[in-house]
Amino acid sequence: MNNIVSKILIVANLVFSLCFMCFAGAVYSFQAGWVQKHEKAAAQVSSTKSQLDDAIKQKDDQTEKFTADLLKEKTRADIAEAKEAGLNQNLKQAIGNQGNAEKERDKHLADLLVAQKEAQARVTETNDARAEIKRLRDQNNDAIAIRRGLEDKNLQMEGQLAEASSRESQFLKEITRLNDLLRLNKIDPRDPVIGPVPRLIEPVDGKVEDSRKNASRSQENVLISVGSDDGVFKGLKMTVYRTSDDGNANYLATIKITDVYPDKAVGLVLEETRNGTIERDDYVTTKFGSNNL
Amino acid sequence: MSQQSSDPTIYDGLMFVSLGAVIVGIVFLIMALDGYGWSNGG
Repeated sequence: MNNIVSKILIVANLVFSLCFMCFAGAVYSFQAGWVQKHEKAAAQVSSTKSQLDDAIKQKDDQTEKFTADLLKEKTRADIAEAKEAGLNQNLKQAIGNQGNAEKERDKHLADLLVAQKEAQARVTETNDARAEIKRLRDQNNDAIAIRRGLEDKNLQMEGQLAEASSRESQFLKEITRLNDLLRLNKIDPRDPVIGPVPRLIEPVDGKVEDSRKNASRSQENVLISVGSDDGVFKGLKMTVYRTSDDGNANYLATIKITDVYPDKAVGLVLEETRNGTIERDDYVTTKFGSNNL
Repeated sequence: MSQQSSDPTIYDGLMFVSLGAVIVGIVFLIMALDGYGWSNGG
């Protein structure tokens, strides 16, 4: 212990012993975190490896799928290229057809212009024809109206002719009867008539429909219900009377016919013959008059 | 037998401290290995 080498070794031994103690203490103090870090890192490595395996598997699946899709798309592309080639050929053919169609169209347009001009001329002609047709229709309508009028007139004339024939036969019978009567009375029907012949007065009965006096009340006109169809003529004198309840006829006046219509007549009251006031529904007749003219 | 001085010197104390430090270090190592479950990490 007294030499210098021993002292140096003792000091070195002390230093190394202290260092050993410090390093061992340090190891003991920090070794727990290292274990946890190691386990965590091992778990992460395991998880990452698993994910990597999954990713690789997924990548392989997708690669197979993409390969199949690529093959499929290549097939489709080949088909599409074939179709495109066919379509290009069709397009060329269509372009050629279009050219032909344009030529046809130009030709048809030219024909159309000609046809339009012709149609315009036809329209003008049709309008003229319509106007002519309208004029002819109007003329036809007028002709139809005239024809109907003539037919009505013809019908009326036929009726009058039939009536005239009937009357002619009656007149012939009457003439035969009168000739027989004249022969019985020893009168020659061919002898001439000398002097005026009084007009035949037929028995006529009618009613007063209205009576009016003039403004100065000096004259009275009477409207009666019989006319020329019943044998009434202008200038005829008729008697106006009224029947009482016991059946007697009361003479009222004598009228002179001034206006005659087919079924009416107007008579002027002769004031010198007035025997009463004439009213509506009084009777008028030719039977009572001894001198009706 | 020769008479030798028996008084401890400073170097005896240093040797004693060194021994204690070695023992404490060994104790730390044992505790550290216990923490690893006596595994060598392999």
